[in-house]
Amino acid sequence: MTTFLATTAAICALAAAGAIPVLATVGLRWHAVTLAPLAGAVIAALAATASLTFGGPLLSWFVGLAALGAAAVFGLWVVRPDLGPRRVERAAGRGALHRVVGIVGFLVVVGTCAWSLRGLRTPTVGFDARALWVMRPGWFLQSHAQLLIDMKVRGLVLGQSAYPPLVSASAAVAWKVTGVHTARLGVTTVAMLNACALATAALALIECGRGMAGRVVRSWVPMAAGVVGAVLLVVVAAGVTEPFLTNGYADPLWSLAAVGAVAFGLQLRDDPSARAATVVLVLVAGTTKDEGFVTAVAVAVLVAARAVGWTGLRGERTRWLAPVVVVAGELAVLAWWPLMMRVIGARGASSTFTATTDLAHRTDATVHGMSPYLHVLVLAVPLAVIGGLVLSRLRRRVGVGNDLWAWAALVVGLTAVSAVLVASKSPIGPWILTTVHRITEFPILQGWWIVGVWGVVAAAGLAGPDDTSPPASPVADLAVTEPLPAPAADAVGVAG
Amino acid sequence: MTVVSALVASVALVGLVGQAVRSDRSVDAQFSARARHDASVDDAFYACIDTQARSLVRPGQTVALGGDNLADVVTMIKGFGSWITVADPASGADVTLTLHDGAAAPGTCLGTRVVGTSRGPGGRTTVRLGTGASVAGQGPPPAPPL
Repeated sequence: MTTFLATTAAICALAAAGAIPVLATVGLRWHAVTLAPLAGAVIAALAATASLTFGGPLLSWFVGLAALGAAAVFGLWVVRPDLGPRRVERAAGRGALHRVVGIVGFLVVVGTCAWSLRGLRTPTVGFDARALWVMRPGWFLQSHAQLLIDMKVRGLVLGQSAYPPLVSASAAVAWKVTGVHTARLGVTTVAMLNACALATAALALIECGRGMAGRVVRSWVPMAAGVVGAVLLVVVAAGVTEPFLTNGYADPLWSLAAVGAVAFGLQLRDDPSARAATVVLVLVAGTTKDEGFVTAVAVAVLVAARAVGWTGLRGERTRWLAPVVVVAGELAVLAWWPLMMRVIGARGASSTFTATTDLAHRTDATVHGMSPYLHVLVLAVPLAVIGGLVLSRLRRRVGVGNDLWAWAALVVGLTAVSAVLVASKSPIGPWILTTVHRITEFPILQGWWIVGVWGVVAAAGLAGPDDTSPPASPVADLAVTEPLPAPAADAVGVAG
Repeated sequence: MTVVSALVASVALVGLVGQAVRSDRSVDAQFSARARHDASVDDAFYACIDTQARSLVRPGQTVALGGDNLADVVTMIKGFGSWITVADPASGADVTLTLHDGAAAPGTCLGTRVVGTSRGPGGRTTVRLGTGASVAGQGPPPAPPL
């Protein structure tokens, strides 16, 4: 079997596992297509963790968990047919143009993502990829007893083998399903997952533009801006993340998933479908790498805070219960793997933080190491300030979340990674030198997404607000009231 | 507000287009002739030591990665860490694999050869050289980006 066919089969297997839960929670949306393989990868990560915890083959857990999820969904649909995938959500702004923009936007984003993967023509397997990410799948396919030895024995040197399992578990599923056990297949499978995360985050910008239909006079303007912005962001993101986008590293996956989580959870209108997409993306980011774990926890808490809002804080149980349950579930899932690493005494699971090192020197080295990579902030900060001062009412009116949420996610993510660098015992110079271009991918990409969203909001300003339409939910800014229902035409093949 | 909208939209568009052009160039750099050559040499090297290791380890045998050189241990993990049955403790391994780095020679992978040491019945030590693949030239392979 060629690598191309094996990759296709692997992504189809992951998508098949993730499709039903995504369909049930996200609904028939275009981004459900790109979320399905990512959800399958999360199931693979959970399967690897369950296999480590309880024993049993990874593939059995993968199939079992996927079947369990599907059975639960079908059961729900039997009991509550109104929650089925063809549920129609009515709102203003639906129409043929809205639907056409959805189709065209999806196709051009997917096409641009495919174009951005042309680096795969060079069969590079990155250093860390060969040493860890696409080596560890073999361990997941060994016996439970051997897996424990692999994770614990000190002679294998690599402390990074305690990193979260998603990338290696997905590659293990790819190896097992296809029978092709090559590092190259691991790399191409990870690259396809990267592309899915990138496409999902870009499609959020198209949804942002489409969400303004019915709220502005010439609704095609923000919708077109959303499509153009999404295509440009795909190209930008590919450049920011190369060569790691196509050489098997885990950094692009968690970074892109976290950006997508912020886009759906903190920048778009707060609705159940967006929240479900956010959950998938948070789990992808948090089960991919330690830096992603920290950022995912922060994003999950921010999304819950936005959903709860001031009303929830004042004690309205209906307001805070669901977000709190969701974030608790997310945190439990995210904590499972690191907890197991501690329990089994895995190599690299113990922290080497200290308060006795030269914190001032380490902070200075971290700031100076990161600064050259964060030049997007020179553009994004003034744009956000001007937009916040002049266009915030428009932004609220067209149903886009307050920009401060996205900045909060960026700052928290950047601070968390910086804090690890500063507080660790490892020599800071070589560490910065060899990782800074990868660990800054999330704030860089987040900065560009902030620019993109302001571009779409400004385009809505050029289109002119439709004063005859009902105002957008204040939830977008302050999260104090119930959100408006999502436009029906967001649903693929349902509306109309 | 329309003026500010136009300004913000224009600045965002110009910024995104400019960065997209830069990004497109950096993606193109991934398949330069140099990058493709380095990738193929790297791939050939690790495939070579993988084949040599397989010639030294029979199915079911436990393995220890020997040697004092940390770089060699990492190279072995990269080459065949995914399929070996790691012994715990290492002293109980059926085979201890090490790398012998030297000058380019026939039967080596860019000058590196996998060596297997096993202890037979009666404590007799057997040293075998890996076979089945070779890559001409002198290593190490070009370092991929970290």
